[in-house]
Amino acid sequence: MGGIRSRLALAIVSLVAISVLAIGVGTYLFVDARLRDGLLADATRQAQFDLSILVPGALPANANASTFPATGLPAAFRLRGDVEEIVDFEDGKPYYSEADLSGALETLPAELKAVVSGGHLGYAWQKLAGRPVLVVAGRVASGPAIYFVFPADSIEAAVAQLRLGLAVAALVALLLAIATAGLIARGILRPVRSGSAAAARIAAGDLSARVPVGGTDEFARWAAEFNRMADSLESTVGRLAASESQNRRFVADVAHELRTPLAALVAEASLIEAGLADLPPDARRAAELLVADVRRLRTLVEDLMELSRFDAHVEEAERRPVNLGRIVGAAVAARLPEAVVSLPAEPVIVDSDVRRLDRIVGNLLDNARTHAPGAAVDVAVARESEHATIIVADRGPGVAPETLDHLFDRFFKADGSRRSGSSGLGLAIAAEHAALLGGTLVARSRSGGGLEVVLTLPVTRSLPDGNPVDTFGGEDASTPDATSATAHPRQPA
Amino acid sequence: MGSQPGCTIRPVYGRILLVEDDPSIREVATLGLRAAGFEVATAPDGVAGLDRFRADPPDLVLLDIMLPRLDGLDVCRAIRRESTTPIVMLTARGDTIDIVVGLEAGADDYVRKPFEMAELVARVRAALRRRGRDGGGDLPARLELGPIAIDVAGRSASRAGREIPLTRTEFDLLVELAHRPGQVFARDALLDRVWGYDYLGDSRLVDVAIGRLRAKVEANPAEPALILTVRGAGYKATRATTSEA
Repeated sequence: MGGIRSRLALAIVSLVAISVLAIGVGTYLFVDARLRDGLLADATRQAQFDLSILVPGALPANANASTFPATGLPAAFRLRGDVEEIVDFEDGKPYYSEADLSGALETLPAELKAVVSGGHLGYAWQKLAGRPVLVVAGRVASGPAIYFVFPADSIEAAVAQLRLGLAVAALVALLLAIATAGLIARGILRPVRSGSAAAARIAAGDLSARVPVGGTDEFARWAAEFNRMADSLESTVGRLAASESQNRRFVADVAHELRTPLAALVAEASLIEAGLADLPPDARRAAELLVADVRRLRTLVEDLMELSRFDAHVEEAERRPVNLGRIVGAAVAARLPEAVVSLPAEPVIVDSDVRRLDRIVGNLLDNARTHAPGAAVDVAVARESEHATIIVADRGPGVAPETLDHLFDRFFKADGSRRSGSSGLGLAIAAEHAALLGGTLVARSRSGGGLEVVLTLPVTRSLPDGNPVDTFGGEDASTPDATSATAHPRQPA
Repeated sequence: MGSQPGCTIRPVYGRILLVEDDPSIREVATLGLRAAGFEVATAPDGVAGLDRFRADPPDLVLLDIMLPRLDGLDVCRAIRRESTTPIVMLTARGDTIDIVVGLEAGADDYVRKPFEMAELVARVRAALRRRGRDGGGDLPARLELGPIAIDVAGRSASRAGREIPLTRTEFDLLVELAHRPGQVFARDALLDRVWGYDYLGDSRLVDVAIGRLRAKVEANPAEPALILTVRGAGYKATRATTSEA
């Protein structure tokens, strides 16, 4: 876009420059030629008159430079206009009507002299004694060649003024072009710009974006076409969204309806579990399976309800300073005590929601435990300048690269299995929580085999180090005079 | 089920009124609580629950929120108007607004459905546990917080000789803060010591209970002078001893 605009602006400026140059040069040449033609016509007429009317009667055959002024001809010539003359008597002593012109005969072009000695009238544009002049020359029969010198200063001055005027005008036009070319190009490209803005809004998810249609030019047709495309996209997406929201509402309703019987089931199963030892072996096995299946059903229903709350956009983060090492330590102790935890020397504190972080880390650990059973699991917390990370990495079978992107899809199971304890929703839920906290959850294959899931959280406020309030993550704040009365966090061993 | 022949007679740890409309949950909870040594009476709706409460006051009320005839929140408010008996709400998971409203209506704690019986029993025991009984031996018999006189052993608090009606939770919270004036107690610490949550308890329990306590002991609850908030840290009781007006 910017490239096109500057190219368009450059084209406008070049066009103006070429036009200005052509008009200027043309004007200059035309005016120059007209002025010179005018002077030449006047001078020729005058010279012809002088040579044919004045000279024949007044010039004796033996005249020379010293006798010429006495003929009265110089005065007669001058009477008819501003003119000087050079008379070549071919005796090496030419007559000069003005001292300035002395020796000027030598500088006249040979062609002119040849034309004159041939008995014709000739002319030449010259510079004599430093002044621009028009020399018109001729002779009467075998008489001396007479060179009439007409001053051409006025033409030169006029032409010079014209040149300056044209140059200034050209410069102004060019500057104006440079100054406005950007704006003009912008104006020309405005429809393109509004089109690209609309496209960007659509890309960002605002399907109601349209391009204003004005006029009947190519842009208008293009805009109408664009809007038609946007209309169909919006209605298609609208239909899809409506059916998806219907689906989700159905799932939410089902989960909600399951809640009451599930609550009874869970309580009942817990009582049966407490009494397992008293049951006969066959019944005991069935009861064990029942308890495990109720637990699985509970996980599934609760996960569905949790997701439907995200879908209903009713979830909000409850932010406080949180010590990530403490969250990770507690989650590992509760879910996967054999995992190896590595924490940085300094506690990593972020402004976040403890409960959601616990849920994310817990789900990542559950995922590692379920899909990499028995494999080594490493959990690491790290702090970089703009964000903090929690990495849960296992040495299990990993997942194929093409399925990595689907790992956070609902009900996606990388190994296609229906293992107990996994609803297939854990990672989707973790991703929803991460997004709510302004973070991201990314899965990648680990070199050497296994899967690595990285939670990245923004560090939104600077927290002073070494302050005991923050070191314990805000929730376990204690003043220096705190004693054993304060419950201290259980730090992982 | 019930007591089998030859079974030792278990001591009764407390009398519980369970108000719950779902018959299965009502029955299984009754079974579980009885197995844990409690005596249980039940009611299937809010009106019956309130009648039962008045006719035969229990040591603790387990109260479902969604109840026919009279809403659990209204039952809770009605009980609070006449009694400081501990109330534990039974709420559905995710009904976060219900929880705050329930706590503000005077409930001491809540248990989310679905619950396992061990979880419910633990919450009931925590709500019934009395500091005087289980090893609060380091506490003096009497405490003072400004104009408030606290009879720790007698579990009562009074201002200028007039008793302030405090629930079990409010009283424990007051004692916890008042026996170390000036010390900041984090919400987690209070959840652990007053409610018996050792990790990831709901900090709203503390905030709502503090609000209710202030409404009862502060001269001007909008500008608390006795129980102070320490921003980003928790709460503390004032160290200054103010003279009674």
